[in-house]
Order: sequence, then C-alpha cells, then structure tokens
Amino acid sequence: MGLATAIVCSLFFGGKLTDPADIVSALRGSGEPYVSAVLDARIDRTVMGVLCGAALAVSGVIIQAITRNPLGDPGLLGVTVGSSAAIVTAASITGSGFGSGSVWIAFAGALVTVVAVYAVGARSASGSIVSLVLTGAVVSAVLSAYVQAMILTNPSVFDSFRFWVIGSLSGRDTEVAVMVAPALIIGLLIALMLSPSLNNLALGEDVATSLGTPVALVRAGGIFSASILAAAATAAVGPIAFVGLVVPHLTRSVVGIDHRWQIPVAVVLGAALLVVADIAGRMIARPEEIMVGIVTALVGAPFLLLAVRKGWATR
Amino acid sequence: MSHTDTSRRFALSVDRRFCIVAILSIGSLLIVALLTLTIGKLGIPVTELPQALVGRAEGQTAFVLERLRGPRLATAVLAGALLGVSGALFQTVTRNPLGSPDVIGLGAGAGAGVALMTLSFPLFPSSLGAVLGAAIATLAVYVCTGRGFRSPARTIIAGIAVAAMAAAIIEYVVSTQLRDAASQLAAYLVGSLNASNGQDVLVTLGAVVLILPAAIAVSRDVSLLEMGDDTASGVGIDPNRTRSIAVILSVLAGGAAVAAAGPISFVSLTAPQIARRLLKTSNASVFSSALTGALILTAADLAAQQAPLVAGLPVGVLTLGVGGIYLGYLLVRERSKGRL
Repeated sequence: MGLATAIVCSLFFGGKLTDPADIVSALRGSGEPYVSAVLDARIDRTVMGVLCGAALAVSGVIIQAITRNPLGDPGLLGVTVGSSAAIVTAASITGSGFGSGSVWIAFAGALVTVVAVYAVGARSASGSIVSLVLTGAVVSAVLSAYVQAMILTNPSVFDSFRFWVIGSLSGRDTEVAVMVAPALIIGLLIALMLSPSLNNLALGEDVATSLGTPVALVRAGGIFSASILAAAATAAVGPIAFVGLVVPHLTRSVVGIDHRWQIPVAVVLGAALLVVADIAGRMIARPEEIMVGIVTALVGAPFLLLAVRKGWATR
Repeated sequence: MSHTDTSRRFALSVDRRFCIVAILSIGSLLIVALLTLTIGKLGIPVTELPQALVGRAEGQTAFVLERLRGPRLATAVLAGALLGVSGALFQTVTRNPLGSPDVIGLGAGAGAGVALMTLSFPLFPSSLGAVLGAAIATLAVYVCTGRGFRSPARTIIAGIAVAAMAAAIIEYVVSTQLRDAASQLAAYLVGSLNASNGQDVLVTLGAVVLILPAAIAVSRDVSLLEMGDDTASGVGIDPNRTRSIAVILSVLAGGAAVAAAGPISFVSLTAPQIARRLLKTSNASVFSSALTGALILTAADLAAQQAPLVAGLPVGVLTLGVGGIYLGYLLVRERSKGRL
C-alpha cells in the first residue's frame, strides 16, 4: 500500500509544478509533449528508486544477519569505496566523464573489493566476524586515500566524481535499469533461498551447525548476494547511505526476526523509503533538487542517533 | 622485600625506557625538521640555516623560512602533537584502542562546519567554521550517548551517524561549488598543510601551551580510572569529573589541530598506539604520544612535499593511506595470534 502510494506520488509531484489532470492525460498517452517529457523522467527515476531501494535494503538485511551486527551496512564490506575507486580509475585513464559504461566499471570495482575483503577477513582463528568488518574498514581507508589522491591531482576526474559520489536518481534512464536488473534478480533469488538458513544462523554458529546448516556456505552465499545487490544499486545510482542500515531495523520492528518475512518486507520498505526520500529531495528545494543520497543521510543519521539514545542499537 | 626490589627495578627500567624513547623521538623530529627545511628545489642551504634561524636571513631564504616551510613545519609539529594528546586521552578514557576524536565525529563535524561557512559566509575565516562544527558534532554525540562517552559502543555508533550526516553536508556543498573552490575545499577537507601560515602556528601553539600541561596533569588520574570507578573514588578521584575534563581536553586539542590543518585522519588513532608499543606500557603517556604524533605528521608532510609520486598531495591523503595499511598490519598480527 505504502509503496503504491509512494510510486503514485513520485509520478505526480516533483521539481516541476504540474497539474494532476495533465499527468493523468499524459499517462493515457494523450498529454502535452512537455508534461509527457516530465512524466517520462519521473517514471525513470521512480523505477530506479524502487529497484535500488529494494536492493540496498535486502543487502542490509543479509549483512546484518550474517555479521550478527545490528549496524551492518553494505558499505562495511567495501562496496561503495570499491566502485568509487574503479570509477575514478576509469575516468582518469579515459580522461572523460562517466558514460553509461561506467555502470559496469563501478559494478566490477565493487565486486572485486568485496571478494578481496572477504578473502582476507573471512576466516579468523576464532571464527569471529570482527575481522571481516575490520578488514572492510582497512580496505575502505586505503582505497579512499587512493580516490582522494586521484581526484585532487586530476581536476576533470574530480569534477565528474563530485556529482557521482552523492548518489542521485535523476538522469538515470531505463537503459541503466535494464543493465543492472539481472544482478538484482539473481541477488534477490539467492537471498530468498537463503532466508531459512539465515534464521538458523541467527541462533549462533554452533546451533546452526547442529541443525544441519552449512554455515560457511550460507555465509559465502549471503555475502555474494548482498554484494551484488549493493554493487548493482551503487553502480546504477551512486553511493546511497543508510537505506541498507535503517530498513532492516524498520523491518524487524514490523515483522519480527523471521528472515523469510524480513526479506520480502525489506523489498517493499526499501523501495518505498528511497522513492519517498527522492520525492522529498525534489519538493524541498524547488526548483533545485537535493540529491536523494543527501536526503537519506540527513534523515537516516538522526534516526540512528535516536536509536543510540534509546539504546536500541546497543543491546 | 624482594617484591619491593622487583617493583622498584621495574619502575626504574620504565623511566629509563621513557627517557630513551623521548630522546630518540626528539632526535628524529629534529632530523625530519632539518630535512624539511633544507632539501628540495627551494631548500635552505645547510650552511645558511643557523644564520637564518636567528633571524639574519635575506631574500629567498627568509621567504622560504618565514612564509613557506617554516610555518608549515611548525604547524605540522604542533598539530601532530595536539592530535597525539587528543588520541592518548580519548583512548584511555573510553578504554577503546580504536578511540580517537575522529570516532566522535570531530573531524567530520569540523569539515562540515568549514563547508557551510565557505558556502554561506565566505568572508569569515574557515577555522571559525571548523571550531563550531567540531563543537556541534561533539555535543550531538555527547547528548545522544546519554552517558557522557562512557559506553564505547554507543559513542562509536553515534559518531558514525554524525560523521555520515557531516559527510552528506560536505558532499552537497562540494557539489554546488564551482570547480576550483570545490577542489580547494576538498583538499582542506582531507587535511592539508599546504597553505599553513602564521595564524595556524599561533592557533596550534596557543593550544599546545594551554592544553599539554593540563593533559599531562589529568592523565595520571585518568589512568587510575582503569582500576574501576570504585577503586578510583577510594583514592580520592571523582571519576565523572576526571572523565569529563579528559574528554573536554581531548576535544579541544583535536579541534585546534583540525582548525589549523583540517581533519587529518589516523594520527590521533595511531600515535598513542605506537607510543604505547615503544614504551611497552599498557597506556601511552600523553607526553610521548604528543611526540609521536608530531613525528608522524612532520614525516608525512615531508613526504607530501618531496617524495616522488605523492608530492603535492595533501598530507591527509598520506596519513589515510599509510594509517590504513598500519591498521591492516595490526589486523593481520592480531589474527595470527588468534586474538580476533
């Protein structure tokens, strides 16, 4: 319901003031050219918002389940910084801005980084997940130093990067959505397949093993699906913070701890949240717009602070 | 009897070690300072240096010493020392080896303050924005942890949230600025000494003079808190007051460093760690941590001025990269010992 409302609102409201009646006639294919163009742009960004919001949210659910860390976020594994590094490298080699091919580059960079983080951090002496998180932090630090070095020595790379790094739904056409859709579908299917095992894993590794869950396999599969979901979303619209962090918490408060319910609900909530954030960004600063990545950070961070204050985040 | 002997000998060996480490650190600092002033295209010839230092230099030498490398070197030494002090106090208070003012969003908040100041009031000095931003960020984390930084987990999470919000503000401002201004802003926001001037030297010098003695004075009480609040009250220390003083000093030190040099990452995190390893004690002393911090930042800035490949980059990029690798080394080592 909420998602449907959000989608409808996303079509009717935006940076350009439009008459609802015009939008309806444009939807029927008989409106003015101007309104149709506005509507097309809104449909594109709504589609991107739904896809990427859902992907980031599910990715967050899986990572929080696997690391058993309520603050798990796709960024933790190096997804964001990996795609940033790939993007600036490609831009400095080609010397140009980011075309639609940059989606693949960002995607590849993210995946390579996650694999590296996982390979270094996955197995520790005591089987703890801490080293995975720490490895992610180390890789993030080193790669962001690299990104800074590249953008500060290369003005044209800096120029295109400073817009990409915020994360925005505007100007992404359906071509991009089609490119990343297969990764999103595969990631989502794996996530749904894994959900019963994630429930077992939540009981602790030993219990999960005794219930016959192949812990290592589930963990590797989960990291894989979380990574391709987050990598595809980041590649498509740029880094967007907090959706992967906050939505799993919202989801848990709605449907409880069963992952078989959490994942479908996270799809809906994540999609709705990102679309609503995008609408807000378009409405607040008319006729300018605030990119959705900024809106999610400015809304998500106080939410996290409240969670800390109330003690939800540190049980 | 024999027990007393052992502890006395132990105390003596710690003191001796402390002196050796201090002398070696100061020696290395002097060498780095000498190199910073003398090598490279504009370097001051070693023969002219004594004359120049007593104020009898002319022309290019005077310009290099008084306007270019002198202020830069002094800012590096002082800001590095402040970061070391800040980290040592904060790590001891929070009992968290990863604790640093970065963790409570200090650097990010200062960055956001500078960004907003540049956007809204370009005529005001940006260091004012840094101080305001750092103060607001620290306050936000303090309020949200609810217990005055006492719970490390809460502090870190609140710090993440504040840092994320600050990052969003910074990104927004950078994206709305013209390319040149944005590029300059981005360089400052990663931490840079490229434009250090006399004002930065004054800010950091004042902060060192005021904060260092107070920090050394309070650090003894703070280390007694390690034994637990009850024991500490038993020997006449008010735990909450001590903790608050230490955190305030830590924030002031970190804030002054950021105001002068931008949010340089990893120095306040690593300086106490390195000092602790050099001294082989469980807690880094504030003084040796300050020395270590000064050494790290001057060495990094020397590299940022002269080393191939990285020359010309802001020093913060170097500390971020090298600090990240050091963190990786710690990780690998801890893991091989099975402690992770």
